[in-house]
Amino acid sequence: MSGSVRVVSAPAAVQSALDTLGRSSGPASLILSSLADGAKHGYALTKDIESFAGVRLAPGTLYEALSRLEAHGMIEALESHDRRRPYRLTAAGAAALATYLEAQRKVAEVGLRRLAQGLASA
Amino acid sequence: MSADSGGAPSAGGAPAPIDRRVRRMLLWYPPSWRARYGEEFAELLLADLADRPRCWRRPADLAGTGLRARLTAAGLAGHPLDPAAAARASLAAAACSAAAFGVFGGAMWAQLAIGVQWDVPPQQGITQALGLMSAALTLFALLAVLAAVGVLVAAVRMCRIGQGRRLARPAAMIAVSTLVLVLGGNHFANGWPGTGGDLLVHQGLIPGGIAAFGWATTLWVSSYWAHPAALAAFSAGEIAWMVASPAATAVLVTGAARLLRRIELSPAGLRYEIWLGRLAAASMLALLVGAGRWITLPALGDQMFHPGLIDVAGLAAMAVAAAAGGQALRRATAVARLADGTAG
Repeated sequence: MSGSVRVVSAPAAVQSALDTLGRSSGPASLILSSLADGAKHGYALTKDIESFAGVRLAPGTLYEALSRLEAHGMIEALESHDRRRPYRLTAAGAAALATYLEAQRKVAEVGLRRLAQGLASA
Repeated sequence: MSADSGGAPSAGGAPAPIDRRVRRMLLWYPPSWRARYGEEFAELLLADLADRPRCWRRPADLAGTGLRARLTAAGLAGHPLDPAAAARASLAAAACSAAAFGVFGGAMWAQLAIGVQWDVPPQQGITQALGLMSAALTLFALLAVLAAVGVLVAAVRMCRIGQGRRLARPAAMIAVSTLVLVLGGNHFANGWPGTGGDLLVHQGLIPGGIAAFGWATTLWVSSYWAHPAALAAFSAGEIAWMVASPAATAVLVTGAARLLRRIELSPAGLRYEIWLGRLAAASMLALLVGAGRWITLPALGDQMFHPGLIDVAGLAAMAVAAAAGGQALRRATAVARLADGTAG
C-alpha cells in the first residue's frame, strides 16, 4: 500500500477559484452545497448547513464567506422583499462546487477503501 | 428549499428597528461593509441571538471577521466586490504607509543632518548612514513628486469631463495643510534655537536650509514630550507649532488618501503608480538600512549624534509602515490584475 495519497484532479481554473477563498474555503463549500437546491437567505443557510453538516456557522463567518463568494462571482444576491436578502448559485459557482465535490469524493473513496483494506489485514 | 423557508424567529413582515445590541455588534464592521450587508446581517444577528442568547463564540467571531472586513476596506487584505475601488483603496493605504514612513524617516534624517551642521561626526559610520539616508530620501521625494504628477493628470481628466467637484474637498485639504507646513516649517527653521538661522552649511553635503526645514516640520517627533522640564525651554509659539504641525501633516495625509480613493485612474495610470510604489519600496529599504546602521553604531559618548529611545521607536515605526505599504502594494497589484481580467 502506498504511503502517500495524491488526488488532485480538479481543473486549475476552478480549483484556484476555491483556493483563493483562503480561510473561507471551508464555509464556502458548505454554502455552495446549501445553495445547490435553491436560493436562501442568511438564517436559512445557517439552519440548512447545521442540518446536513452538523456545523453551525457563526454570523460573521457566514457573511465573510458570502461576501467572498459574491466577489468571486460564485453566488449572486437576489432582490429581497424584506431585510433578509437571499442568495443563489451562479453557473461559475455550480461548476466550482461540482469540481470540488468530485475531488472530495475521490479522496473519500480512496480513504475508505484503504481503511477497509487496513482493517481487513489487521 | 426556497428562500422563504427556515425564517428567522424574530423576522416579521415589516422591518423591525435594530436593537442597540445588534447596532453595537455592527460597529465591528466598516461603513462600506455595513452599507452593503448591514440590514441583512442585522437580521441574521437577531435570529442568532434568539437561538443562542449566550454564545461565547459570537463576540470573537464578530471581532475577527469585522477586523478583516476593515482591513479589506482599507485596501490591505481580502477580496473586493469592486476591483477598481479596491485598487484605489490599496493605493491610498500604500500612500498613507509611505507618508508615515517619510515622517519618521525624515525626522531621523533631519536630526542627523542638523547635527552635521554643527559638528563633525565622530564616526565614519554616521557619515555613511547619513549619506545613504540622504540618497534614499531624495529618491523617495522624487518618486512622490512623480506619483503626484500621475494623480494630477487623472484629476485634470476628471475635471474636463465634469467630475472635478468630487475632488475639491480633498484637494483643498492638501493645499491648506501643505501651505501651513511650508510656511510654518520655514518660519520655525529660522527661529528654532538649534538652527538659529545661522547654519554652518559648509560642513556637509546637505544644504543647511533643507536640513533645518526638515527638522522644523518633524520637530514633534520628539522625546521632549516625555520630559516637561526640557519642553519648558521652548517658547509658546514653538510648542504650538509642535502641536499644529502633526495636525497639518494628518490633514495632508487624510486629504491625499481621500483624493486617491476618489480619483479615476486608467489601467495604465494604475500600473504607473504601482511601478513607482515598487521603486519607493526600494528607497524605503535603503533608508531603513541607513537608519539601522546609525542606530547600531557603538556609542562614543557624543550627545549630538547619540541615538535615543525615540530613534529606536522611530525605526520600528518605519519598519511597520514599510511592511504595511508593501502589503498594500501587493494587494493593489493583485486587484489591478483582477480589474484587467474583468475588463477583458
